[in-house]
Amino acid sequence: MVNFTRRDVLISSAAAAPLLACPPFAFAAAPAFPARNIQFIIPYAAGGGFDSFVRYVSPVMESYLPNRVSIVPINVTAASGNRGIGQLYRARPDGHTIGIFDIPGMFIQQAIQGNSAYDLAKFSWIGCMGEGERYLVGVGQNSPLKSFADLVALSRQRPVKFSVTGMEGTAAAACVIGTELLGIRRQLITGYKGSADFIVAAIRGDSDAVISATATMLRYAKGGHLRILASFETKTSIPGIPDATALGRPELNDISLERPVAAPPGTPPEIQNILSVALARAESDPKVVAWAKENDIIMRSKTPAETAALIARQRAFFERWRKYLIAA
Amino acid sequence: MLDFWLSGFLSLFQPQALVFLLFGMAVGLFVGVLPGLGGTTALALLTPFTYGLEPVEALALAGGVMGGVPMGGAVTAILLNTPGQTANAVTCLDGYPLAQQGKAGLAIGAAASANAIGGIIGTISVLLVLPIATELVLAFGPPEFFLIAVLGLVLVATTSRGKTLRALVSGVAGLMIASIGYNDVTGGQRFTMGIEYLWDGVHLVPALVGLFAVAEMMHLSVKGGSIAKADGNVQITNIGAGLFETFRHWGTVLRGSLIGTFVGVVPGVGVTVASFLSYSLTVQASKDPESFGKGNIKGVIAPEAAINAKDCSALIPTLAFGLPGGAEMAVFMGILILHGMQPGPLMLQQNQLEIYSLIWALTASCILSSFVGLLFARPLARLTRVDTQLLAPVIIVLSLVGSYATDMVIENVVLSAVFGLIGYVMIKFDYPRITMVVALVLASLAERNYHQSMIMSDGGWSIYVSRIPSAIIVLCIVMSVASPFIRTFFSRRDLAATKTAGGS
Repeated sequence: MVNFTRRDVLISSAAAAPLLACPPFAFAAAPAFPARNIQFIIPYAAGGGFDSFVRYVSPVMESYLPNRVSIVPINVTAASGNRGIGQLYRARPDGHTIGIFDIPGMFIQQAIQGNSAYDLAKFSWIGCMGEGERYLVGVGQNSPLKSFADLVALSRQRPVKFSVTGMEGTAAAACVIGTELLGIRRQLITGYKGSADFIVAAIRGDSDAVISATATMLRYAKGGHLRILASFETKTSIPGIPDATALGRPELNDISLERPVAAPPGTPPEIQNILSVALARAESDPKVVAWAKENDIIMRSKTPAETAALIARQRAFFERWRKYLIAA
Repeated sequence: MLDFWLSGFLSLFQPQALVFLLFGMAVGLFVGVLPGLGGTTALALLTPFTYGLEPVEALALAGGVMGGVPMGGAVTAILLNTPGQTANAVTCLDGYPLAQQGKAGLAIGAAASANAIGGIIGTISVLLVLPIATELVLAFGPPEFFLIAVLGLVLVATTSRGKTLRALVSGVAGLMIASIGYNDVTGGQRFTMGIEYLWDGVHLVPALVGLFAVAEMMHLSVKGGSIAKADGNVQITNIGAGLFETFRHWGTVLRGSLIGTFVGVVPGVGVTVASFLSYSLTVQASKDPESFGKGNIKGVIAPEAAINAKDCSALIPTLAFGLPGGAEMAVFMGILILHGMQPGPLMLQQNQLEIYSLIWALTASCILSSFVGLLFARPLARLTRVDTQLLAPVIIVLSLVGSYATDMVIENVVLSAVFGLIGYVMIKFDYPRITMVVALVLASLAERNYHQSMIMSDGGWSIYVSRIPSAIIVLCIVMSVASPFIRTFFSRRDLAATKTAGGS
């Protein structure tokens, strides 16, 4: 039997080390990135909004990458999305792992668990999956509340009931910040599973009203089940209802639902750029644009710098409202 | 509407749509047979492939999968006491004892015909209900969901005659385990022991794989021999008789299908509840409740009819409101969105053709998969004669791979192993495992909706009786609690009467 001494092991490791350092395609003429398939982490379950965005855009996005590789969406759902984001945070920063985020919801998550798992400020942002969405206030079609003034009047008598998800999500944050800004007394009915779930709750009469992102709300309004009372946009896209300007609260427009995409912290700028360009071109691809139109989404990405600025703005906005969101 | 009915039906007869339907069905059957893996996994696997397909083809594929899975799941439940998917856990109760008695063929035959008929009744009810779908979905809110969960928990007692106390212990343990994880209502984590994996609670599929597949195989390996008692005289492949059994028990099939349809329309309650309600109400209605759990064929027919009927009607909340009734429907919604169909109120108006072709695809797959299931029933039934020393390792490996594959995390496998041990101890000391499953499924439903109802009513209890649907469910609960006592009272009186008659 051969006995390896420590010296033998050391020598052979030293000999092997340069081999490990060799890039896998050192001799190929093609650009070094992407060298293999890219994993696209979706921190939410298959079938949801974030999932459909990624699944629809990624096959188009891979066609705009310099090398022929696949973008493989993977749902890492555990711990309200935290596990997926944590996994991305710790992934090798070579651009072969990217992920989609739910902002500002994930600031709340991060605040709840401290900075131990990840720090949103450190990710290498590459763009956004569509424009940020603003929020609308709505009630069921059969609700006695006919206008925003009715809602304010009700709030003087008793707290208005709003249906929302758990307290850690973007939806609950929008509801809390929105009602605070508007001076509407609120009582939250928590625990609904997603936006469809809590909007239907308002239609059914579980709650008095609901605050949710534009695209989903409009779907139910067009179906004749929901009446929109107010918009948080600076200038409303729906005629006949008060907007942030008319309500005298321009900050309402800062409440938004953003879907930024990032690579792990420390990803080289050139790789960040290749990904960002591919994402932006995919989002302006006619196929994606047509799909987005059918689903009432506006598809437009951002540059890495714009996205990072957006995240910084969102963070500042979140910090202002922190005490309402974390204490509750 | 009739127009869309017909064109939806015809659209399936294009060769490509048919091919995808059959392919979907085959995948559904295969994935259904694998322990733990169900429609959710099958659809998630196929989602990328639908990308290049026409909407009708994609729907034919999805419908094929959803129709095929329950049959596959039933076969595993009957032969190995391991539910192919969660809902089939109930089928194990009587299906497996039948397999042990060497009547696997009979049980599979009955399951197949119950599946097909349940699917057909489900389709008919959906077509009838579709015009009033929105009103129906909106009639059920948190108070009703809570009460349905309570009804399910109350019925736990009736399915476990003779060991009610043990059933309660196992049910309460299930409730306690279900409280692990993120609290939907107030926020914050409970009992996660610092393990990130437990933040979403105990994952149901790996827990079930452990509780049934792993535990059963451990039990069999320790015991030795084969699943079916070595009695050469019983014909294990008596499939024809099984097919016929379903037609003999029309009431059971009809009750199961209607319960399945009803539960499907109510979003978020889930197919396991449908199969469990159908089973327990069949036990309650039976003249001979003691025979259940020991291989009563009605115990196979009732849940299977409900599962397939539910698969059809679960489309209603999904399509009409974008509310998926469960994980499988959530993935299916993803496929719809990929193909430019946004589930929600507009879909019922804009995509009628697609909706009807989907319903037809689902029904066709239900019926076809029953036939295909029967073709394979004969060789599969022989599994019950295989020595467990050969069977157990294979099944355990398959189960653990399935457990891993559901979320692609290794912790699932650990969880399955832990629940395997729990399940084994439960088998050893004769504690019913189904009540634990029911508790695991219902706990969060009950808790969440209880809180929501109480906020809705500002803390008043009257909300549980002042709404008509709630009042009806309350009545069902009262009847379920009272019926054993009434039954005992009458049987005692009869006994007393016969005694007096005998004495005179």
